[in-house]
Amino acid sequence: MASGHRVFVTEWNSSVLVKAATKAGKKKNALTPMTFSLLHATDFADRLLYKIIPPLKAGMIVLADRYTYTAFARDVARGVDREWVRDLYGFAVQPDLAVYFRVPIDVSLDRLLARRVKLKFYEAGMDMGWSSVPTESFRLFQSKVLEEYDQLVPEFGLTVIDAAGSITEQQLAFRQLVATKVEPKA
Amino acid sequence: MSRKDGDNQGAHGGVTPGHYYGHGLPYLSIDKYPGKIIALEGTDGVGRSTQIRLLREWLEVRGYGVVETGWTRSPLMSPTIELAKSSNTLNKLTFVLLYACDFADRLEREIIPALKAGFIVLADRYIYTAIARAGVRGVDSQWIRRLYGFAIAPHLVFYLRIDADQLARRVLEAGGMEYWESGMDMKAGDDIYESFKSYQRALLKEYSAMADEFGFRVLEGRKSVNSIQEELRRQIGEFLDGTASPRLVTPEAL
Repeated sequence: MASGHRVFVTEWNSSVLVKAATKAGKKKNALTPMTFSLLHATDFADRLLYKIIPPLKAGMIVLADRYTYTAFARDVARGVDREWVRDLYGFAVQPDLAVYFRVPIDVSLDRLLARRVKLKFYEAGMDMGWSSVPTESFRLFQSKVLEEYDQLVPEFGLTVIDAAGSITEQQLAFRQLVATKVEPKA
Repeated sequence: MSRKDGDNQGAHGGVTPGHYYGHGLPYLSIDKYPGKIIALEGTDGVGRSTQIRLLREWLEVRGYGVVETGWTRSPLMSPTIELAKSSNTLNKLTFVLLYACDFADRLEREIIPALKAGFIVLADRYIYTAIARAGVRGVDSQWIRRLYGFAIAPHLVFYLRIDADQLARRVLEAGGMEYWESGMDMKAGDDIYESFKSYQRALLKEYSAMADEFGFRVLEGRKSVNSIQEELRRQIGEFLDGTASPRLVTPEAL
């Protein structure tokens, strides 16, 4: 790494433990808001013990691509109780820095559609049955998700980066933020 | 946990039977569903399955619709749990959460629809088994209770009590001790018999601690199958006679 830190990257929903169940559930559209929530919490717990705590103990920087806040926003948008899901993740380690890349729905929709043929069922909140048109469902569901994120910002002290800007701009802002938390190594 | 007036006796964690223990599933209202949940608790090898089979026959003859549910029977979670148990990668948290997920799936796909349709749900173990197992493994007791705040308080919970020595003999007679039910994951040593005994003793302690909290009706598991069944039928019969629902299934409706 250019500034001398050892980095460990971990992604949301990447643990092997629940992969089969999540995949099967998603394929058959068989997940309910509650099982969706609990499966993701299981994934997180598995990664916490195998992928997050050990590198932290080794003094590394853990870059987590999404953290508990994703669950707080999504699960509550699906109708899971707000307090319950916070309690559920009571075992999580508090991050030293939590950054929220905020983007308007239209921008995220354009970016997703530009890269992929179609929106994923759960990503578009199709399981909620609010609209049978994927883009419309996405708009309805993600606006609820964004509303939740807006509440999370003050509640958990998330730092907001305007993600409508260019990648270079975002990366600059991100680096400046991180630099305030970690000492550069010679 | 909200306290409401009960529609029958028992502590039930201070919650009216048939209601959610805690926050529940806010997107799924279960008010006034006519079905009933009857749970049978007790450690492995205490004879629950036999009792449930006999109860089912008896209830069906009396004209009730019956649905059975039991741990790790959820089609969503069953393969994952089996795989995880055989691969030794589970830790106490993922163990607890996989089981919670199994319960949630069965709750929404089996238990709630059955309650809505006026069936009697016979639960071969309920959340108390998960709470006991988590407690033995050192999971925070408040956290696990809040986690299961999405569960519905059963109308009746029977607890088949037995001591660890008798249990050990029964399990050996029935084919032998198994890794998980012997608590070998807790790595207390290589002696499976000793591990079984100390694990089951710890579990029994957890169950006892829950008896008052959740209003268990305690039955002696060392009694004969018939005498336990008789007692179950007497208490369940009394409960059902005193309640307007669930509706009886008439032959014409079948």
